[in-house]
Amino acid sequence: MATIINIPEAKAIQVNNLEFTYNGAPEPSLIDITMPIAKNSVTALIGPSGCGKTTLLRAFNRMHDLYPGHTYNKGEILFEGRNIIDPKEDLINLRIKIGMIFQKPTAFPMSIFDNVAYGLRLQGTKNKTELNDRVEKALKDAAIWKETADRLKDDANGLSGGQQQRLCIARAIAVEPDVLLFDEPTSALDPISTQGIERLVTELKEKMTIIIVTHNMQQAARVSDYTGFMYLGELIELGKTEEMFVTPKERLTNEYITGKFG
Amino acid sequence: MTMLFDKIFAHSTRIIAITVLLVVAAIFTILFQESLLSIQSNGFAFLSDTKWAPNLEKFGALPSIMGSIISTFLAMILAIPVAIGVAIFLSEIAYERLKAPIGISIELLAAIPSVVYGMWGLFYFVPIVRDIFGGMGIGMLTAGIVLSIMILPFMAAVTRDAMNTTPDILKESAYALGATKWNVVKDVIIPYAKAGIIGSLILALGRAIGETMAVTFVMGNVHKISMDITQPATSIPVTLANEFTEADSDLYYSSLFELALILLVISFVIIAVAKSYFLRRTRRTS
Amino acid sequence: MTETQKRVLISKIVMVLSTLSALIGLAFLFWILYVLVTNGIDAINWDIFLYEGAPPGYAESGLKQALIGQLILVGVASLIGVPLGVLGGTYLSEYGQRSRLAETIRDISDIMMSAPSIVIGAFVYAVVVTPMGHFSGWAGVIALTIIMVPIILRTTDDMLHLVPGTLREAAFALGAPKYKVIIQVVYRGAKAGVLTGILLGVARVGGETAPLLFTSFNDNFMSTDLMEPMASLTVTMFNYATSPYEDWQQLGWAAAFILSMFILALNIIGRLIIMKKGK
Repeated sequence: MATIINIPEAKAIQVNNLEFTYNGAPEPSLIDITMPIAKNSVTALIGPSGCGKTTLLRAFNRMHDLYPGHTYNKGEILFEGRNIIDPKEDLINLRIKIGMIFQKPTAFPMSIFDNVAYGLRLQGTKNKTELNDRVEKALKDAAIWKETADRLKDDANGLSGGQQQRLCIARAIAVEPDVLLFDEPTSALDPISTQGIERLVTELKEKMTIIIVTHNMQQAARVSDYTGFMYLGELIELGKTEEMFVTPKERLTNEYITGKFG
Repeated sequence: MTMLFDKIFAHSTRIIAITVLLVVAAIFTILFQESLLSIQSNGFAFLSDTKWAPNLEKFGALPSIMGSIISTFLAMILAIPVAIGVAIFLSEIAYERLKAPIGISIELLAAIPSVVYGMWGLFYFVPIVRDIFGGMGIGMLTAGIVLSIMILPFMAAVTRDAMNTTPDILKESAYALGATKWNVVKDVIIPYAKAGIIGSLILALGRAIGETMAVTFVMGNVHKISMDITQPATSIPVTLANEFTEADSDLYYSSLFELALILLVISFVIIAVAKSYFLRRTRRTS
Repeated sequence: MTETQKRVLISKIVMVLSTLSALIGLAFLFWILYVLVTNGIDAINWDIFLYEGAPPGYAESGLKQALIGQLILVGVASLIGVPLGVLGGTYLSEYGQRSRLAETIRDISDIMMSAPSIVIGAFVYAVVVTPMGHFSGWAGVIALTIIMVPIILRTTDDMLHLVPGTLREAAFALGAPKYKVIIQVVYRGAKAGVLTGILLGVARVGGETAPLLFTSFNDNFMSTDLMEPMASLTVTMFNYATSPYEDWQQLGWAAAFILSMFILALNIIGRLIIMKKGK
C-alpha cells in the first residue's frame, strides 16, 4: 500500500494506524495513518485540499479537542514515549511542548512584547529580567528583533502581515517547544515575507522538530527534509524530500507532483 | 415617461428618508418649546430642587432624576456580571447543540414587551422583596431588580454577539500556547471584543434609563429621595407615565415636558456615545 | 501547586461561575415565561373575545375592545410605517449610499431605535392631542409610526445592501431604469430580509405601552373611530394589572399572554423566513 521509508534519525513522534472522524461526518478524515517524524528535521505534508494534511497536523497538539464530537477512532500518536491521544493526556502541557503557527498571522490584541511574553507568563515566569531576556531572544531567533526592538510597547496589530507572522513564530518559540507545527504559514503572505518565513523554518530545525503543512509543492521542496503525500485521508507516501520529488515510488504521488490533479 | 417615474421614485425615497431627520428635530424643538414655561419659571432650581408639589405649583425634578440614575445604576450593577456570564457561557462553554436553543430563547425573551416584565414584577417580585425587607415591597430596589431582569436578555445577546466576532483562529492560537478557557476569554476574547462589549453595555444603559413600563408598576411614584432603597421612589419615566394625564395646570405640564426633554437628551447622548464611539458600523464599500 | 494547575483551577472556577450566572439569568427569564403562560391560560376563555370591558364584579367582561383597538392601532401604524420605512431604507442603500446625508440619517435612526418611547408619547401629545383637544386613536397611530419607521428603515437599508452590486450592474447593463432595477432586482433579492425586518418592526411596536398612555389613552368600550380614544392591549393591561380587583387582574394576565404570544409568533416567523432563505 503506502510507501513509508525508514528514517535513520531519532523519532520525535511516531503515528501508528491513526483514524480520525469529524463530528457528524459519515467517513473518517484520516485513515490508518502510520508515520514517523524525524527529530530536528522538517517534515512537510502535501496533498490536494481535503486530503487530511491539516487534520493530521491538528491532531498532534489535539486542537480538534476544542470542538466537541470529533473522535480519534483508533491508533496512537507516540510522543515522549506515551500515547498523546489518550483521553487522560494533559492538553495544556502537551500544547506547551508542541507549538503551532496558523494560516494567518494571529497577533493577540496586545503589545508586541506582551504577545511574545504571553506563553511565558502563562507558565508563571514573572521575573522582569528573565522575561525581557527571553522575549529578546525569541524575537532575535524569529528574525524580527531589528524591526521591533524600539517599539516593543506598540500594538502588535500595527505590524505588517509578514512581521506579524514572524511575531507569532517568536511567541511560539519563546516557550521553547520540542515540536513546532506550521499550518500553511505563508498562505496569507507576499513572496518576500514568504521567503523570510521559509528561511526561518530551516534555521529553527536545529532546536526543534518541525512539521509543516503546505499547499505549495515548491515550498515543501525548499524547506523540508522529509515529505509526506496525503490523498483522501491516507498517507500515500513518505520519503526523503529530494528523492520523492525526483523519483516518487507511488503512481499517485507522481501524478500529483507533475500537476495531473489537485 | 420612464424617466419621469424614475425621478419621482428617487425623490420620494429621499424625502421620506429626510423626514426621519425632520421628525427627530421636531421632537427636540417641540419638547423644548413645551418646556419653556417651566424653564423660565422653575429655572435651574428645577434640577436641584427636591420638592415636587403640583398643588403648590412647586416643581423640583431632583427626585425623578436621582431615581432614574439610581434605578439604572442598580440595574446595571446587577445585570452586567450576569450578562457577561451568560455571554461567556453561550460563546465558550455551552455544548454546540445547546448554543442555538439557549441563544434563541434569550433573544426571544428580549422581544417580550417590557410591560409584561413590569406586571410580573408587581405580582411575583414585590411580595418577595416585602417579605425580605419589610415595607411595601415597592420601591427603588424592586425597580432596579426588575429593570435588570428586563435588560438582561438584550444585554446578554449583544455581548455574546460582540464576543463571537473574535476569530476562531485567534482563540486557537492561545490554546496552542497552553492557555486555559479563562485565559482565552480574559486575554484574547475580551481585549479583542472590548469596544463591542463596552458599546453593548452602554447601549443597554441607554435603553434602561428610558424604560418606562418595567419600572412604573413597582417604583411607587413617590417624589422623595431616600437613602433607603427599599422605600418607594420615582424616576423620570415613572413620573411621566403616572402624572401626564393628571396634570391640571400649564406649569405642571411644562414641568413634565421638561422632564421628558431631560430624559431624551440623556438617553440620546448615551446611545450616541455607544453607537458612534464603540459600535461603529463596519460596512464594505460597494 | 504548579502554575499550570493553578491556571486550570482558576479557569474551572470562572467557568462554573459563568455557567451559574447563565443558569440564574435563564431561571429568572423562564420564571417570567412560566408565570405568563400559566396565568394567561388560566385567564383565557371565550368571553374575552366576546365582551367589552365591564366594571369589576361583572361576569360578562372581556378584552374585545382592547383586542380590536390593538389591531387597529398596530395595523394602521404598519400601513403607514412599513412603506415609509422601506422607501426611506431604499434611499439610504440605493441613492444616498455613503453620502453625508445618508450616514446622518443612519446614525439618527440607530439612536431613535433605542430612544425612550415615552418621550415620543409626550411629543405626540403636544402636536396631536393638545390641538385636537382630546386623546385619539390617530395620536396613538402616529406615536407608533414614529417608533416603527427608523427600525424598518435601517433593516431595509442593511438588507438591500446585502444584494450583490453585480446583480444591479447586470440589470443596468440591460438598459433598465434605476427604479425598475430596484423594484425588480434589488427588492426581489432582499425580499426575505426586508420581510423579516418588517415583522420585527411590527412586533417591536406591538408591545409598546408607554407612548400610548397619553395618546390613544384607553376606552372600556368598543370603538373603531380613530378620532376618539382607543383601547389597546398594552394600556388595558397596565390599567387592569394595577387595579385592586382580582377579575381585572385576571384580564390583565390574559392580555399579557395574548400580546406576548402574538409578538413571539411574529419574531419566530421572521426568523424562519430568514433561515429558509439561508438554506
